[in-house]
Amino acid sequence: MSLEDLFKEIIIEHYQHPKNYGHIEHPDAKADGSNPLCGDEITMELTFDGNTVKNVMFTGNGCSISQSAASMITEAIKGKTIDEIKKLMSEYMNMLEGKDYDSELLGDLEALSDVKRYPARVKCASLSVAVLNQALQDKK
Amino acid sequence: MDIKNIRKDFPILSRIVRDKPLVYLDNAATTQKPSCVIEAISRLYENYNSNVHRGVYLLAEESTQAYEDSREAVRRFINANSTKEIIFTRNATEALNLVAYTWGEENIQNGDEIIVSIMEHHSNYLPWFRLAKKKGANIKIVPAKMNGELDIDAFKSMLSNKTKLVGITHMSNVFGTINPVKEITLLAHRYGATVVVDGAQSAPHMKVDVKDIDCDFFAISGHKMLGPTGIGALYAKERYLNSMEPFLSGGEMILRVTLESVDYNELPWKFEAGTPNYEGAIGLKVAIEYLEKIGMENIESYERELTTYALDRMKTVPDIFIYGPLDASKKGGIIAFNIKGVHSHDIGTILDSEGIAIRAGHHCAQPLMIDCGVSAMARASFYFYNTRQEIDALVDALKRAKEIFGHVA
Repeated sequence: MSLEDLFKEIIIEHYQHPKNYGHIEHPDAKADGSNPLCGDEITMELTFDGNTVKNVMFTGNGCSISQSAASMITEAIKGKTIDEIKKLMSEYMNMLEGKDYDSELLGDLEALSDVKRYPARVKCASLSVAVLNQALQDKK
Repeated sequence: MDIKNIRKDFPILSRIVRDKPLVYLDNAATTQKPSCVIEAISRLYENYNSNVHRGVYLLAEESTQAYEDSREAVRRFINANSTKEIIFTRNATEALNLVAYTWGEENIQNGDEIIVSIMEHHSNYLPWFRLAKKKGANIKIVPAKMNGELDIDAFKSMLSNKTKLVGITHMSNVFGTINPVKEITLLAHRYGATVVVDGAQSAPHMKVDVKDIDCDFFAISGHKMLGPTGIGALYAKERYLNSMEPFLSGGEMILRVTLESVDYNELPWKFEAGTPNYEGAIGLKVAIEYLEKIGMENIESYERELTTYALDRMKTVPDIFIYGPLDASKKGGIIAFNIKGVHSHDIGTILDSEGIAIRAGHHCAQPLMIDCGVSAMARASFYFYNTRQEIDALVDALKRAKEIFGHVA
């Protein structure tokens, strides 16, 4: 198990050049969260078209795992319905918790699969999931 | 100092972590334990375990003696006048809270001023913060200078007849800065203020003399000085303890109880309600004896040399920023840093993959993080069992971290 497995190029790329970084002027839903242990912070803002995510942006600061996960997750959920997103996040959590998961569904997010070997870092990778769930819940 | 032989006293130091020899550089969080401490705890449970100050049988006499011997060891270690002035607590945090909840509750009033430094661990800030809120007192914060030293001139300008309490860390758990607690105490006493020193980081690494400092309270933590977890101590001047109400109530802290009245126990037991952590105290005594055998002066000078080496070597890591004094004579073996483009949490993980244990995060000092404009720092902290080779391993791994994250424009 080498470090390059954890810090894959795609993770570093998303960390240094995050996708969907910034704000939405009139979001339909917004949530933020932080990991008090290390100070990772994520805020997500979303707009919807019915039950489908039309646009999503995030801001935040923290480690490469938390920030790249936010970047990749925002990429992955655009254009998806709430049910599809819930399924995707559930598979993503399965991966982080070392359970069986749907590799095809996860796509780029699978780059974070080695985080499971570093239990202290799972919280970094899952912060965006908590924030996203909160935003989806608040949307109603 | 024969470090090679000293390391043999610490079983954990021969552990392999992630296929690499463990390099333990998180000593400001907790220290490793020598075999003699581990064995002393086993010996208690295998030979003479019994509650202290209770029984009239031989085992109880032995455990009580061992517990009280530990109090004498702590007294000697920090040069207090009397064992009456040594209260066992769970840790330094509990020791500081004890002062806030007893002396603080009784003496701090509306409009009074409490001075603490920006370098305080949450445990020497929040008890005073909460007390001030409750009583309507005001907190003043002594800033740090750019070089990581305390701004003593700012402190002087804050002192007034309103100053009731000064809370100051002897050694910052982030910057490593050694604060001039003797001078601070002298200045504070001129205004009649009470001085509480957080010695959690200093007592393990340097000779402490509470009589020389002349502070009114001094808190120490056992597990940061080779002892077990769950044991710490509060030093307090006897006249303070005499005037203070007990902290917790229950067994041990009484002489006589009726349904209508209570006579409290003598010092120091008045402040030790319930069955104490005598296992911890017994381990702490052996830890203190181990430190005394090596000699605190030797420990301090070896660690200063190691810190000088570490500062020199760490400066060679590209884009590193080191917080706190860069002059090892001003600080203990604690080096907090960040590397541009590599979050401290990622540094921690990369070092972990090399078997190197450091701390990453806010170090229970969030006001200081905010003051430095960051949310987190990486921190390497040393003890006398660390070596130059381990510093080299640290520096190599930091360079590797920088490589993995590439050049950041």
